[in-house]
Amino acid sequence: MGSLSQSVVTALSLIFAGDREVYAAVWTSVSTAAWSTVIASLFGLPIGMAIGLSNFPLKRFTVILLNSLMAMPTVVLGLLVFGLLSRQGMLGSFGLLFTPKAIIVGQSLLATPIIANYALSSVRAADIRILPTALTLGAGPMQSFTQLTNEIRFGMMAAVIAGFGRVISEVGVAMMLGGNIRWYTRTMTTAIALETSKGEFAFGLALGIVLMLISFSINIGLSFMQEEHQP
Amino acid sequence: MRGPFYHLAGVEARYHGKAALMVDELALRGGQLNVVAGLNGSGKSTLLNVLAFLMQPTQGTVKFSGKRVRWDRAQLRELRQSVTLVHQEPFLFRGSVALNVAYGAKARGVVGSALQERVRESLELVGLSGFEARSANRLSGGEARRVALARALACNPEVILLDEPLAYVDELSTRIIETLLVTLVDRGVLVVVSSHDPTLGLRLNARTIRLRQGRLIQDSEPQENYAVKSPENRAYAIL
Repeated sequence: MGSLSQSVVTALSLIFAGDREVYAAVWTSVSTAAWSTVIASLFGLPIGMAIGLSNFPLKRFTVILLNSLMAMPTVVLGLLVFGLLSRQGMLGSFGLLFTPKAIIVGQSLLATPIIANYALSSVRAADIRILPTALTLGAGPMQSFTQLTNEIRFGMMAAVIAGFGRVISEVGVAMMLGGNIRWYTRTMTTAIALETSKGEFAFGLALGIVLMLISFSINIGLSFMQEEHQP
Repeated sequence: MRGPFYHLAGVEARYHGKAALMVDELALRGGQLNVVAGLNGSGKSTLLNVLAFLMQPTQGTVKFSGKRVRWDRAQLRELRQSVTLVHQEPFLFRGSVALNVAYGAKARGVVGSALQERVRESLELVGLSGFEARSANRLSGGEARRVALARALACNPEVILLDEPLAYVDELSTRIIETLLVTLVDRGVLVVVSSHDPTLGLRLNARTIRLRQGRLIQDSEPQENYAVKSPENRAYAIL
């Protein structure tokens, strides 16, 4: 118990003293997660909205597939992307493996189905009168679509936040594609795994506290968004 | 014949394979108040959706202002600029009352002070002057219905379609809406109101189009309303 409290004190001192290694890992995590979320949003939001607004023969199957992809183990995803980015892989010539870009590729693939699913749910939960109301007031298809997006904007923001929350806390993709290289691809989660196994519990704890603060802030933000989304 | 008019011939509309509306012939003239009466499921809303160009009939032809409706995207966009439909439970967009009322007029290219003036005038017509800054989702049911009506009026439409505008509204809103309908007709607007109230046509001195199970069973001009021996009119006579 004494050693735990001592570790907490050490962890807090690392955070407040601005330990360079701690903040390097925080920066790598936040920047890769932010880029991944942006890329995943560019694909996920339109995909989710398109599925929600259209009817096509394999719609049910597509929704089931999208749901299943949300449960994709990060290590398996990391493994698949590793195969693509490794020297013998289809994208090996780009030399991305063990760089932050590789983490971004993997995390984008991880977040896309999550964001698409949230966007799909928002469209499904939207009032069915939005589009007919806009159309009957003389709005064109694009204006009506813009109005729908405006009405469900909180749901869309929740989708983006959920995607960010997922990628910032994952470890499998970052470990397999980033390689946990110090000062370069070491993220908070991979650093926690490594430092704890080395016995540097306080260092891992410091990163754990920062990660927890970020995750809690995201969840609090998401809760506010969802409350705001209620009619 | 003045103003825009509809001509429906052999129109049949289906929902999930089931016929919801079957009209052999129906003509609607500008500057006329029409009440589409009938019980729930009689096809009133389907008829309004067809007239609003929101639902393409499975059979038959619809002409608007003498032109045949082709139901293609470009023509629909143009036709919908002339018509507005106020739904039974109107949807108000997030934001202020002014934002809602301005929506249709803005979509028609009205901007700046002209838009502000239209918003002000429309709200005045429905008895909601000074409501511009209020939040649209904090209004009572009757107020929301009147804001939806103001939003339709701000579009300056040639045709206004109202789906059960008087259902579940208070006495004040009912009086305002009824007076407004008559005013619009005097201005040359074609007004079509659906109602399950069998007495509305008589009360508003309107042409009454009665539907039953999707079929037109009565089409009487205002002066003929009293003479029609439908069960609904007999009930009204007793009252």
